[in-house]
Amino acid sequence: MHPNSQYIHADNTALIFEELKFRSLTVKNRLFRSNISGQFDDYNGHGGNARLNWEEKFARGGIGCIISSFTPVSVRGRILVRYAMIDDDDKIPFWREVGRRVHAHDCRFIMQLSHSGRQQDMGGVENLFSKGLSSTSKSDYFHGLLAQAMTKPEITEVVEQFAQGARRAREAGLDGVELHGANGYLLTQFLSSGINDRTDEYGGGWEGRARFVLEIVRAIRREVGHDFHLQMKINGLDHNDWLYPWLRKGNTLDETVKICTMLLDGGKGVDSFHVSSGSTFPHPRNPAGDLPLNDLHRWYDGMLSQGTRAPMNYAIFSNPLLARAFQALWRWRRGKVIEGINLDYARAVSEAIGKIDPDIKVLCTGGFQHADRIAEAIRSKACDGVTMARPLIANNDLPEILAKANGPEKECTYCNKCLLNDLENPLGCYDLSRFDGTSFEDRYDKMIKQVMSVFEPPTFH
Amino acid sequence: MSSDNDRKTPVEIAVARHRRWWLAIVVLLLLAVVYYLVFVNQYVVAFKSQNEHFMHGSIGSETATGPPYWVFKALPVMYADKLGPEGWSRFGFLYEKPGDDLPIGVSRRVVSGVERVWLNCSVCHVGTYHLPGDPVRHLIPGAPSNNLRLQEFIRFFIDVGRDPGFTADALIATIDSPKVGGDLNVFERLVYRYAVFPRVKNAFLDLGTQLDFVKRQEEWGPGRVDTFNPYKALQFNFPMDEAHISGAALNGSSDYPAIWRQRPREGMNLHWDGNNDSVAERNLSAALGAGVTPVTVDRASIARIEDWMWDLPSPPFPVAAKIDQAKAAEGKTLFLHYCADCHGFKDANGYSYDRQRFTRLGKTVPLADIGTDAGRWTSYTENFAAEQNLLYAGYPWRFSRFHKTDGYANHPLDGIWARSPYLHNGSVPTLRDLLEPSAKRPPVWFRGSDEFDLAKVGYRQSAGADAFRYDTARPGNGNAGHEGYRYGTELPDAAKDALVEYMKTL
Repeated sequence: MHPNSQYIHADNTALIFEELKFRSLTVKNRLFRSNISGQFDDYNGHGGNARLNWEEKFARGGIGCIISSFTPVSVRGRILVRYAMIDDDDKIPFWREVGRRVHAHDCRFIMQLSHSGRQQDMGGVENLFSKGLSSTSKSDYFHGLLAQAMTKPEITEVVEQFAQGARRAREAGLDGVELHGANGYLLTQFLSSGINDRTDEYGGGWEGRARFVLEIVRAIRREVGHDFHLQMKINGLDHNDWLYPWLRKGNTLDETVKICTMLLDGGKGVDSFHVSSGSTFPHPRNPAGDLPLNDLHRWYDGMLSQGTRAPMNYAIFSNPLLARAFQALWRWRRGKVIEGINLDYARAVSEAIGKIDPDIKVLCTGGFQHADRIAEAIRSKACDGVTMARPLIANNDLPEILAKANGPEKECTYCNKCLLNDLENPLGCYDLSRFDGTSFEDRYDKMIKQVMSVFEPPTFH
Repeated sequence: MSSDNDRKTPVEIAVARHRRWWLAIVVLLLLAVVYYLVFVNQYVVAFKSQNEHFMHGSIGSETATGPPYWVFKALPVMYADKLGPEGWSRFGFLYEKPGDDLPIGVSRRVVSGVERVWLNCSVCHVGTYHLPGDPVRHLIPGAPSNNLRLQEFIRFFIDVGRDPGFTADALIATIDSPKVGGDLNVFERLVYRYAVFPRVKNAFLDLGTQLDFVKRQEEWGPGRVDTFNPYKALQFNFPMDEAHISGAALNGSSDYPAIWRQRPREGMNLHWDGNNDSVAERNLSAALGAGVTPVTVDRASIARIEDWMWDLPSPPFPVAAKIDQAKAAEGKTLFLHYCADCHGFKDANGYSYDRQRFTRLGKTVPLADIGTDAGRWTSYTENFAAEQNLLYAGYPWRFSRFHKTDGYANHPLDGIWARSPYLHNGSVPTLRDLLEPSAKRPPVWFRGSDEFDLAKVGYRQSAGADAFRYDTARPGNGNAGHEGYRYGTELPDAAKDALVEYMKTL
């Protein structure tokens, strides 16, 4: 906690644990679990017991609202296998159970309706012979993931997939849906001036690029009405030239604000914005942190068959000197700020949208794990609440901790090992330095026990 | 029935396509590297010793002018009827020791994958002598060549080019013969038949066309060269027919100069007629005479030779005991009186090239005053100087100091004993003869012997088997000039003897 702050911890907690009212949703505090994914489910997208355990433990820890993992609205739109999907009505019962488990802890649950577009890390055997649907036919620049510019019938089909996903979420008794329009996935691929190279009505200026998302918003409203929470995750800035300066920068903050205004759709559109940044995933700004070289070398191999540039990346990550250089570039492009990295973007959106409709709330993501930083973000009106993921993986009960202290004793180190391990291992905190013990083996046992805790209680017991 | 059970994924197809592109790029790069290494980059033998570099190092003449090594080795065998058992020695080429592969002054360079040979500086600047009664031939690197028969050498190549018997079959057969030992493989034979031979044949024919005027010239004889007329034809395509060049200008053959002690010569107007005061320009120009072109010249190699000759000492008189010190002392006084103002002077402190003290050193004496043969002076024209000053245009080393003068230049006389015969055209066989008025100088004598006359200082001038009859009555061969009171030719014989004795010590 900043020693010169005029606010004491009680001031901060009063703000953080104040109810947050959206137009059709109320959350008990200002702490949201951001969307973070893990391969806990059946290969075909049916939810599993591990995910129920996974979501429940955050609800138990005091989080006000959980935004689900990346939830594909179709098989074509998934990023990794073993993620629960919302592509069919037969998924509704599982999500109903998720809602029930979470609601039991007075926690709300928002489903993140998602589509990978071309940013499909490991699409599984169902997608082996398909290119990623996208606004463009240009492959992703980082991994070389192939893309196919969507035809208009395909656009119509995907719009409907989103709408049906929202309907299923509502039928499952969930509390709202979020459109994943940030971090390089399909909606970003349409929104971003750095990626969208279409010459039809879905490309060109920001209005054309936002048309696809607006059609989705309207289709969702058609299915769920106006009293079901709908929020939009969006990049403040795309930073599309993150590691490759010769690429176009992507959307400016001004364009983002205009797009957000458009998505309000005259009061019939979205209820809230969730501000992030970075036109790909991963990106030096998202999740903002480090690039763990050993884990990169160990777990990136699965990408070799997925992207045309992955072999080159793997060669770089496998070379001690080149890997260090890449890591240095990554850190340099991220910058020094991690906690609250997107606050300035959120503030710009908040100010602009607040003038139009004060009922529209803004959430901000980016490494939050200290009460004073969260409270200051809210107090300064940069946002109305914060979303967090890695700090919650590190400390599942972070909200309870923040109620008592400014931050956890063992903070999230932003090492991003959780992110890299998710390619092949259960999602969890893999930063051994955070675990107590007198030897490597001792700490490693504790770490594995924590990672595997998501499978407890087991499916049958 | 077609089978489509093992289709490649789009990623695999894209990667394979990328791989094909990369493969094509790598292959192209490899081809470019091979092309560079074989056809662009040139390979030369480097010598540690400066002296060895001077004798055998390449200055870049092979690239444009030089025949392939095996052609050079085969020609003396193919034309043994003309060259005899001496081979290239027939034209005065020297070998450091018996059995050497190539003579002094012939260097190697691999160009476009073919080893080629041609001339370097030493072919014209290594002198020889042997003492009476002693058959051992001594080489003097840096001294004027007294053996090279360059005109006959050129004529030989012209004759070969025009010889109907000079065919690819005959050439390849000779190269593969035991006497030459080429042992070309199938690929090399194809290269020689379809690439090397046609180019060599054409080069020889072109040489015959460009230097056709040589047949109208007086014999150069051993140890002499027509510096400028072939230069005019080869570098600048000057018309050299009778309508364009006078008889006087056509015959300007001169002795080769010595090239030692160049440092003190910088700034002197030398080059026989004083047409340039820059040692570097004279060197680069002389290299053109050895076959380099402004494009192929190896300036680094020439710079190395330039460094070497910058302080190369002049050779001491071979038999110091044969110098009568008393007479030399007497001659020293006479030299100081008659010769030093134009030629410098040597005392106990060494040779003095001090142009403040010796005011005419390195300057020209008008033709009417010096009175020596005008052929060499006439052959150098203002037009030619203008063309020379355009050579290397656009580069810092562009020629800029060539100019037409009014006569012949006064040279320092260090190592003068090793520079016989005397006067620019080598028309006077010994120093002692030079101190006589022209009427008393030998009107007809014989060049080609390297037996040294220790008394008169110069080569033996009597007839011999391969001796060249030098007739001073022929155009360009005049031995008049450098005579009269001021030149010491009216001194008593004893004084002349003393002067010669002193000049042995220079």
